[in-house]
Amino acid sequence: MRVLAAEASKLVSLPSAWIAMAAGVLVPSVIAAITASSALDAISRGAKTAAGVDTGYQELAFGVVGVIVLGVVGVSSEYFTESAESGGGRQITTSLTAVPSRLRLLLAKMSAIAVVSALLAIVAAAATMGAVRVALGEHAPALGAEDIARLAGVVCYWVYTALLACGVTVLTRHGVVPLALLITNTSVVSVTYLLTKITTLANYLPDMAGVRMFIPKLGGDSVEMSPLTGGLVMTAWVTALLPIAAIAFTRRDA
Amino acid sequence: MSVITIENLVKRRGSADILTGVGFQARPGRVTGFLGPNGAGKSSTLRILLGLDRATSGTALIGSVPFVRLPDPLRTVGAMLDGSGAHRARTGRAHLRWVARSAGLPRARVDEVLEVVGLTNAASKRVGGYSLGMGRRLGLAAALLGDPETLVLDEPVNGLDPEGIRWMRTFLRERAASGRTVLLSSHLMGELAETVDDVVIINRGRVVADGTLEEITGSHRTLEDAYFALTTGGAR
Repeated sequence: MRVLAAEASKLVSLPSAWIAMAAGVLVPSVIAAITASSALDAISRGAKTAAGVDTGYQELAFGVVGVIVLGVVGVSSEYFTESAESGGGRQITTSLTAVPSRLRLLLAKMSAIAVVSALLAIVAAAATMGAVRVALGEHAPALGAEDIARLAGVVCYWVYTALLACGVTVLTRHGVVPLALLITNTSVVSVTYLLTKITTLANYLPDMAGVRMFIPKLGGDSVEMSPLTGGLVMTAWVTALLPIAAIAFTRRDA
Repeated sequence: MSVITIENLVKRRGSADILTGVGFQARPGRVTGFLGPNGAGKSSTLRILLGLDRATSGTALIGSVPFVRLPDPLRTVGAMLDGSGAHRARTGRAHLRWVARSAGLPRARVDEVLEVVGLTNAASKRVGGYSLGMGRRLGLAAALLGDPETLVLDEPVNGLDPEGIRWMRTFLRERAASGRTVLLSSHLMGELAETVDDVVIINRGRVVADGTLEEITGSHRTLEDAYFALTTGGAR
C-alpha cells in the first residue's frame, strides 16, 4: 500500500500527468459538443431525423489519448535523463533504491496508472455525455440500461489502453516513440483501422477490438465482434504484454 | 551496525570487462573513500551494491544480505547516485514526499531533511531550476530521509561549491563519528584527503590499493600523489 501511495503521489505531482488528464476530459467532451451541435443543425434543417447512436462514444474512443499520455509519462518520467550539467541522473535510481523489489514497484506503478485512468474515464464519460445532452437538448439520444454496459466498456478500454501504453514504455524506456505512435494511431491516421481494410485479422489488434466494447458496429465493418469478444481480445493483449514488460523490467540493469 | 562487504565482483557488458574481481569492505564508524578515475568502475560497483545493476558474478552485501533483500531499505541504507535522482518537473518537496511515502515515513521528516541539507527555501521550486549543487543536496536529502545507519554516495562533492564541500565533509565526519557506515566514491582527491578514514582505489575495474588513509598515502607526500602513482601505472 505504501508503494502504491508513493506511485500515486508521483503521478499527481507530475505536470505532464495533469496535462494528460486535462486532455482526457477536454478532447472527447469538446469534440462531442462540436459534433453534437452540427448534428443538431442537420436535424433542424431536416437532413437528419436523430443523432447517431454512437454520439459521444466515438469521441470517447478518441479521448483515450489522455490515458495514453498518462501511461507513457508515468513510466518515461522514471527514465528521463537530466542534462550532464545537472548530473545526468534519472529518477529510476531513486525509485529502485526506495523500493528494491522491481515487481512490487512495477505492480504499484501500473495499479496507480490503472486507478487514475479509470477515474479519468468516468469523469470524461460524464463530461462527454453531458456535453452531448447540452448541445442536442431534446434531440439527445436517451441513455438507457444498455448505455451503462457501454460506458463500462469505455472505462475498461481506457484502463487497458493506459496499461498497454505503460507496458510498451517499460520496454522502450523512452516516451517519445510510444507517445508518437500511439497518439498518431488514435487521432491523426488510424493505422490499425487502415489495416482492417487489408486484412480482417487487424480487427483483433488491441485498439480495434477494444473499441467494440462500446462501439459494436465500426464503419465499413468486415468482421462482426460482440462487445464481450472485443473485451476478451483486448484482455488477451494486456495479459500478453504486461508479463513481457515485467520480465524485461526485473531482469535488466536499471 | 552494518558492514558493506563486496567480494569478487565481476561485471561484463558485451565483450567489455567493467569489473574484474572487485572486493573491499566499508566499516561502521569510518568514512570509506572509493577512489578512481572516471570509467574505473566506481559507479558500476555502487550500482551493483544497490541492486540497480546485476553482477556477472560475485556478491555485494549490506550486513549479511544483498540490498534488494533488505526489509526496510530506506531506513537501512541511504543512497545517492547521479544528479538529484528527481524528475525535473517536480518540486524538491514533492520528490521527497513520494520517497518518504514509499517507506511510510512521516511528512514532517521531509521538512527535517530539507533543513539539514539547506534546501528549505528552494523546496517549492522545480528541480529543473536547481543548480548541480542543489541537485546533489536534494539527492542527499532523499538518502537521509530514513535516518539510515549506512550511506552510499556516488561522487557526493561533485558540483558543490567550496562551502558545500566543507559542509559535506563535516556532515560525513559526524555521521561516521556516530558509528555509522559511510561509503563514498570520488575522482577528486584533494577534497577527500580530509574526509576519509579508509581508502579503496580502483583502476580499470580492479582494486589497486585498499587500506587506511595513512597506509595508502604511505611515503607519498599527499593522497593525490599516491593516487596518481597507483592509477597511472607509476611505481609501487
